[in-house]
Amino acid sequence: MGHFSVSVMGKDRPGIVAEVSRILYELGFNIEDSTCTILSGQFAMILVVFHEKLQSATEVSPSFDEVRRNMGLQVTVHSLKAEEVVHEKSFAGHPHIISVYGADRPGIVYTVARELAQRRVNITDLNTQVVGSKERPVYVMVMEVDIPESVDMKELNGVFDRVKKELSVSISVRPIETLEL
Amino acid sequence: MAILPILQFPDPRLKEKSAHVTGVTTEVSAFIDDLLETMRASPGCVGIAAPQVGMSSRIIVVDVSAHRRGGQEGNHGLLVLVNPEILAMGGKQLVREGCMSVPDYTANVQRAQWVLVDALDREGKQVILEAIGFEAVAIQHEVDHLDGYLFLDRVSSIKTDLFRRKRYRS
Repeated sequence: MGHFSVSVMGKDRPGIVAEVSRILYELGFNIEDSTCTILSGQFAMILVVFHEKLQSATEVSPSFDEVRRNMGLQVTVHSLKAEEVVHEKSFAGHPHIISVYGADRPGIVYTVARELAQRRVNITDLNTQVVGSKERPVYVMVMEVDIPESVDMKELNGVFDRVKKELSVSISVRPIETLEL
Repeated sequence: MAILPILQFPDPRLKEKSAHVTGVTTEVSAFIDDLLETMRASPGCVGIAAPQVGMSSRIIVVDVSAHRRGGQEGNHGLLVLVNPEILAMGGKQLVREGCMSVPDYTANVQRAQWVLVDALDREGKQVILEAIGFEAVAIQHEVDHLDGYLFLDRVSSIKTDLFRRKRYRS
């Protein structure tokens, strides 16, 4: 018995989820967690699945040969140790949304991510897009982060003020205030 | 007093319409105490509705006074509302809501900025009150519970409005 992570990637088309879930169903897997997205026409899905008997990724992976061949998908299967499957996250900070936008240029994601990593701020979600016209592309990045107690918000805002000038972008940091009902 | 267990979706009782309360009897009053204690036992929780603990009665409790933002806006403190009815509403606001009955997700829900509510208070006396901001959201969310609606019913896009909880309340 064991957990596996399955990642699926390839050119988007109808039927990918149906085929992947059929194979998992026929093998007796339970899909515990999954998400998918489409980026510039590329479909990507990651699933955490559980099986009562199977333990090794090498037993599971060949079952996807058919969709690899027929649908041109890249499918990767990894077995997960029980302690790697966490339903609760131990990282406890304050959730914030950081939005950054400005004229497209190299290094926007890296510069912001580097400052966050140095302060052990965990990025839990990240979306980037280029919007606007071809002549005047605007880069938009929205990330959700967990800011640990230890971070001095004044200092972090000061750093972002510097980054704003350096990259000529706008950056806003705001707490996510959830109304618990 | 007792802390009552919270029903979680997909419990079918959360999708039922709750019954009108005929009067605030001693029994109803004791139940309100339990409901309050149950709300207080959950960290950060600012509202609860009777059907969330399996009681099909039109009773809600709201208290946003301790919330970081809600507490700064005008609010009534602790509100016990029996047979609440939203008479009028206005304005729009988008608020991130969490719900004890849907513990794995939070969602951005469009709610009215202002509500006018008719209800009985915990003594059974009729009250008409106005609420704004987070308090108005909490009332709309809890009244939804009485009609069998969850915030999942109010979300317009899974992709942009529904969020898997990144961490659990400790």
